[in-house]
Amino acid sequence: MSEKALKRKKIDFNSVSSVLYPVLFGILIFVLWECGVLNTVLKTDTNILPAPTRIAGIMSENSSKISENLSATMTVIIWGLIAGSFLGYMAAVFATRFPNFGKGALTVLSVFNAIPIVALAPVFNNWTKDVSSEASVRSTVAKILVVTVVCAASMSINAYRGLTELKPFSLDLMKSYAADNMTVFKKLRFHNSIPYIFTALKVSVPSSVITALVSEYFAEYRMGIGRQIRDNISIAQYSAGWAYIAVACLIGILMYIILIIFEGIFTKRHRK
Amino acid sequence: MSVLKRLSKSKYFNTVLWIVILIIVWEIGATVVAATKRSPENILPHLSGIIESVVSKDTINGSQTAVQMVLENAKATISRALVGFGIGTALGFVLALFMSRFKTVEKIAFPYLMIIQMIPILGMAPLIFAITQDISKSRIIIAAILTFYPVATNTLAGFKAVEKEKHELMISYAASKFQLYTKTMIPSCIPYFFTGLKISAPMAITASILVDTLQGGIGLGCLLSQALKGAMSRYVFWQIVFLSAFIGIFSFLLMGIIEYILCPYKRKGNKQEE
Repeated sequence: MSEKALKRKKIDFNSVSSVLYPVLFGILIFVLWECGVLNTVLKTDTNILPAPTRIAGIMSENSSKISENLSATMTVIIWGLIAGSFLGYMAAVFATRFPNFGKGALTVLSVFNAIPIVALAPVFNNWTKDVSSEASVRSTVAKILVVTVVCAASMSINAYRGLTELKPFSLDLMKSYAADNMTVFKKLRFHNSIPYIFTALKVSVPSSVITALVSEYFAEYRMGIGRQIRDNISIAQYSAGWAYIAVACLIGILMYIILIIFEGIFTKRHRK
Repeated sequence: MSVLKRLSKSKYFNTVLWIVILIIVWEIGATVVAATKRSPENILPHLSGIIESVVSKDTINGSQTAVQMVLENAKATISRALVGFGIGTALGFVLALFMSRFKTVEKIAFPYLMIIQMIPILGMAPLIFAITQDISKSRIIIAAILTFYPVATNTLAGFKAVEKEKHELMISYAASKFQLYTKTMIPSCIPYFFTGLKISAPMAITASILVDTLQGGIGLGCLLSQALKGAMSRYVFWQIVFLSAFIGIFSFLLMGIIEYILCPYKRKGNKQEE
């Protein structure tokens, strides 16, 4: 009995310390930053590296401008993520249906994953010149397309694994039921692929945020969080630059948390 | 017919087939663009045009041909990416080592490693440039940060994946901590370590090119932004696009090749699977 209690105490200490240590570390950094010790270490003045409270102040002062840019960036991220994941999944379904021919396509797609965003963004800018006469519209389309390409690659590879790495004999069982391809997909492959979809999203959500920010650098129309970071810093408005960086970090963290919550909801039902 | 059937089952044939399809689509697009646009080389030039510009002997800035210029800039970009990549790899590996050795370090650092993964470091490039005031330094720092966390997290996963039996066997031999790490832990985490490297190598290249675009000077990114502004032939732009795509892909493949050379035991394992 006492051994059990001891064990529980140990677990308690473990879980408490694994929250407490990083929080304490975070507070330490925050205090050092706020008091200007970080500035001394990095040899920068408070203009280039303002204290966190000042950044927060600027965020609230410029909230209307920030939210305008935020919605532009979020549009790019969300649509790119949806389009890319959908296309990637379709490519994986295609590769499952036509294994030989389709697998070649996946190899080529995975190679796309290694192409630097910096090379993709200007190309898509050129290709979308005719989409609309409005610079804001065609820039948004170009940015969405870049995010789409980046997300499609990681989704297709992971989803293909999810669609094909089935439990042993499950496919034989479906065959013995004389199930057609559509039924096999609906009853077996799709459900098997759900955890893999989330694996892919865990890669593509952070990379879609980065891609959106970077493709804004190259976009014709000056809009979005990434562009604001760059423009504010190039005119030496460092505090505003920091405010936008803070927003960018928040987007990344919040989207990841939302993803983890969704993963919990969707994979729990399928784990049984 | 049977030859065709056999070919269609071969992995390489299908990959090549897709590349051919892509080239055909590109060329059809280029033909359409050439017929309808005033300056087709800005949008979609024929591949032959790009190749022609690579081999052409015409100088574009008085002393260098296009390809010489692109390659010179590429050399600068790659060498800076390599320095950052090297530093990031070393730091990531050491942190993973500390994290596996000391539980406290893991507890402190692991949540932050997760957070770094979520925040867009590349978006912070202009700021790091502002802090360091030095373009090469900031390039190295960003490449290092981007390399650092995939290496650290993957190597740590490798340390954790060591079978318990191996661990216990070493302890039963009365192996010291040092021996435990050099004989069991480090060799068995190498495949994980390379997974990290494969993720971070293209990222280091991207970082290096992106930081180039922030300031003039030498580097693929500078040349890219100059070419985009129309300072030189548009074919320079296309050469850079293809070259940077190639470097990104090659850096990924190179890590696989190095792993293949360094891990003979993994090779054997693969053969058994087949």
